[in-house]
Amino acid sequence: MTTRTEAELPFFFGDRHELFGIYHAAARTAGKAALLCAPLGQDQIRCHRLYRQLAHALASAGIPVLRFDCYGCGDSLGESAEVRWDRCISDTVTAANELRARSGVDRVLAFGARLGGSLALAAAPAAHLADVVVWDPVVDGHAYVATLDAMQDALRQDTRRFIRPRPAELAGEQWLGFAVNPELREQINGLAADWETTPSLLLDSLPQPSAQTWKALAMDETSIQRLEPPTPWDDLAKLEVAILSHSLVQAVTAHVQAVSAPVRALNAHVLGAHR
Amino acid sequence: MSEQAFRFGRARHLIGIAGLPDARRDSVGVIVLNSGLVHRVGPFRLAVDMTRRLNALGYPTLRFDFSTIGDSGASGESQSRVQQIHADADDAMGLLHRHAGCTRFVLIGLCSGAQNAHAVACRDDKIAGAVFMDGYAYRTLGFRIRHYLPRLFNPMRWWRRLTRVRTANEASGGEPVFRVAPLPQSVVRVDFAGMIERGTKLCLIYSGGINTYFNHAHQFRECFGRVMNHPAVSTRYLEEMDHTFVLVDDRKRLIDHVEEWLCRNFPVANAGVPA
Repeated sequence: MTTRTEAELPFFFGDRHELFGIYHAAARTAGKAALLCAPLGQDQIRCHRLYRQLAHALASAGIPVLRFDCYGCGDSLGESAEVRWDRCISDTVTAANELRARSGVDRVLAFGARLGGSLALAAAPAAHLADVVVWDPVVDGHAYVATLDAMQDALRQDTRRFIRPRPAELAGEQWLGFAVNPELREQINGLAADWETTPSLLLDSLPQPSAQTWKALAMDETSIQRLEPPTPWDDLAKLEVAILSHSLVQAVTAHVQAVSAPVRALNAHVLGAHR
Repeated sequence: MSEQAFRFGRARHLIGIAGLPDARRDSVGVIVLNSGLVHRVGPFRLAVDMTRRLNALGYPTLRFDFSTIGDSGASGESQSRVQQIHADADDAMGLLHRHAGCTRFVLIGLCSGAQNAHAVACRDDKIAGAVFMDGYAYRTLGFRIRHYLPRLFNPMRWWRRLTRVRTANEASGGEPVFRVAPLPQSVVRVDFAGMIERGTKLCLIYSGGINTYFNHAHQFRECFGRVMNHPAVSTRYLEEMDHTFVLVDDRKRLIDHVEEWLCRNFPVANAGVPA
């Protein structure tokens, strides 16, 4: 019996086989491959289904896809408290090379939601990403940390969740279910839109859309596309509700298909270097 | 210890991560089931942390996605959901048997995962033990007394109830909720008795997160009768915790409890043979 999952391969990769990924092979190749960079923390779990749907859509369009978990996230090795931003960037580079090696395609584009988008932009030069598409990326780390801190404090006092509010000391050094080490906190706090790479498409579904939010990215306004309805990223009442968006999947797939640039198939030497 | 990613099952449609320590070939295998629609990592990575802790003790484990949940696809068979659950669980046990030699298993499930573990444990003699977290529960007379009596004599509650303006959401019943109708209480009682008769060890862990229908440690016996006093049954009510164990310390305590129960009932030295 053959199912669509036949084309999906779960595996561990990286020098020490610490990273988990699922490779979606494409029956035909469009000369490019897509790396899906997951957001961190609870956003990753909420977006899991959507990332899988996007991977299916891209693979059906002839674009091989790799979804992966950074160290300390998802099924990858490491504990949640060990996640570090610099390690996430190097994991993204490793994943991009793994995708090249598996697909035989050198031209890798990346997609990321929230911190996954910021990660794709930060890793783009080192990972030699040909293009980046982002969805509500985090461009102001300081404000993002303040939001997560406020949500964490509200969560511990939420009497719809707990019979009684929980003491602050029990809820410290964590954001919405995940341990956060001080180093990661500081790294995210310092995030700013000072990346070398500019996304070719930004999908904006923040509840309060503002052109000012994306100004730091120095993007052409025509490259910013509004998605409705707004995504409840920071709604505590929906902390455990999956984030799904068919319009997002359609928009990203259409954009990635349309992106054209010289295609360079990998030669054996490059393939060998990536293995 | 190493973790390996597998695509397996009768239609090669299931995705799972097996933790395979260097255990004796007759070890009991521990299988962690999906909680609702959350993929195999579990709420806030609970299943990852739990399986790795158990691997370190020498237990082979598998966390996997049921058909159409997470990364698993459909089997393509014409089956009811219950039939799929049984067949998927059988595939999961087959995988651990092939790779770790397990012939007896412990199922661990939270919420709908507990219901699925219950369904399998009722009918499969390979199940040596089960951990039901926030599984079946019913409002009892004791529950109603504990729930309503304090409210009856609380004037503030009466005032709030009388003056509350219902929102449109409340009036319409809020967002749609898709639930599987629970088994009748009498059926669950008989099921538990049958499991105990077959020698299955049970561990019930209920949280304060389900306090709208379960609110005291006495309620285990109120719901299911004297079978809850059987030496093969362990019950624990964690009143202060929420349904998905969002706080890091709560998850650690939960895993401590599961670990202690497992080591007591299925010591690794002779795992697979109930103590």
